[in-house]
Amino acid sequence: MLEVRGVTVDFAGLRAVDHASFQVGQGSIVALIGPNGAGKTTLFNVVSGLVRPTSGSVIFQGTDLSRLGPADRSRMGVGRTFQVVKPFGGLTVLDNVIVGALTRGRRLAAAREAARETLVRVGLERFAETAAHSLPLALRKRLEVARALATGPKLMLLDEIMGGLNPTEVNQTLALVRELNAQGLTFLIVEHNMNAIMRIAHSVLVLNQGAVLVEGAPRVVTRDERVISVYLGEPVESA
Amino acid sequence: MRIDSVTSPLATRVATAAGAIVLVCLPLAVREIYWIDLGVQVLIWASLATAWSISAGFAGGLSLGHAAFFGVGAYSATLLFLRLGISPWIGMLVGALSAGVLGALLGIMTFRLKGPFFVLATLAFGIVVHIVNVNWRGLTRGAAGLVLPFRGGPQNMLFANLRAYWYTGLGLLACSVAVCLAIERSRLGYYLVALREDEDAARSLGVRVVRSKVIAAALSAALAACAGSVYAAFIQYIDPGSTTRFELSVQIALVAIVGGMHAPLGPLLGAAIVIPLGEMLRAWVGGGPALVVYGFLLIVIVLAAPNGAIEIVRRIARRRGRSDA
Repeated sequence: MLEVRGVTVDFAGLRAVDHASFQVGQGSIVALIGPNGAGKTTLFNVVSGLVRPTSGSVIFQGTDLSRLGPADRSRMGVGRTFQVVKPFGGLTVLDNVIVGALTRGRRLAAAREAARETLVRVGLERFAETAAHSLPLALRKRLEVARALATGPKLMLLDEIMGGLNPTEVNQTLALVRELNAQGLTFLIVEHNMNAIMRIAHSVLVLNQGAVLVEGAPRVVTRDERVISVYLGEPVESA
Repeated sequence: MRIDSVTSPLATRVATAAGAIVLVCLPLAVREIYWIDLGVQVLIWASLATAWSISAGFAGGLSLGHAAFFGVGAYSATLLFLRLGISPWIGMLVGALSAGVLGALLGIMTFRLKGPFFVLATLAFGIVVHIVNVNWRGLTRGAAGLVLPFRGGPQNMLFANLRAYWYTGLGLLACSVAVCLAIERSRLGYYLVALREDEDAARSLGVRVVRSKVIAAALSAALAACAGSVYAAFIQYIDPGSTTRFELSVQIALVAIVGGMHAPLGPLLGAAIVIPLGEMLRAWVGGGPALVVYGFLLIVIVLAAPNGAIEIVRRIARRRGRSDA
């Protein structure tokens, strides 16, 4: 469904992503992990169109997205959340979600209806009329998910939506992801919460210094020595 | 979609209806021509600031070049009437269309710019239009200006009774506010507010930046041009100094900011404060000192109500609402 081909991103001399290539199959849940600064968020920005890669391409359902901006990619079915949440603070929670629902050509009344249903789905219906800026962080992360869901995506990019959630909330979020996945939604997830990843991901990609280091099933990847060294540092050679 | 509305919809509706009745009846009750004249100016400035607030209040780009569109409207109506005998009513539509195209072009050129860069680009645009206006003597007669001969009557937007201009201005304001409200309740309104709040998030949800901002810029410019046409018919003399000068662009922004650019009636309130204030100070204090006092008072107003004077009105309404309950 999604294919990232040799993507490189240079920021003024700093190579954030270095010839990264991977695929996300239809209906799968792929987790993207790696230490801070590995280029995970940059890669998300490349897929969603906010950052133009220096070289390489992104293919979505057989279409090369290179020439398309974020709005067109969203309309094709690429939904995303932001790690640093970006609510439309001055609007209500419901209105935030309505924006997402409107871009699919719905009329306002239909969009409002769809937005309400989405809020129920993610458990935010009690906050429909609350100003988005007054939500606590955990709920703002959920709002990110709701807004993206309202656009009816085929592929969903989740950027650290579990951060700052308590175990109950993590369970709720995992249940939601599983449910949506069962309905056919494909996920690419950036997450630091390893426990959550082990429970949900079909496969894991480890990114290090902008390049894909290892790719495989969660249990295989976490035992891989290269992955352990990236996370824990190189073993010190005895003199 | 506005979340800061504090009064109930019914109370707001009643207040708006009462305000509309007052605005309709006021000129019948006022004898002094001076006050009618001032009132017409307030209405024209209110329309102009409302038009400005469409590009600024929704899309978030503070334009300092809107006098250009005002000028396009004023000159379209006047020149078509003078040269071709076409009614200023038609001239107003031509002006609105031309300004709309001009506004869309400016929008296409500036939509990427943020904050001060957008402001500077619009400022430069306004100055360029002013310079062209002053120097294209063959068309505009430059600084000598153009006189609109009093011919015809109502079909030419020219009225012997000053009160008729009041109603023309009121109609213009009603149109501008109606456009504002229609945008606020539309898909475009949602998109514009989303873009203002966070452009990256809006784009990632499928909001098309260029299309939304350009439509807003074109509507805003077209309405500003309509105000220019009515102004020309009202004063019956236009020159670059009274239509496209930079200070006018500043005043348009000022009226909207003082009144409150995020509320449909904010610009009207702003015009009702700023325009009479300027007039009275000129009469009482005169010349340079008037400008100093004027500037000082505006700073006080903006400090007291950063979201516009409409905010103070709302606060009072809220308190009333509570004490009634």
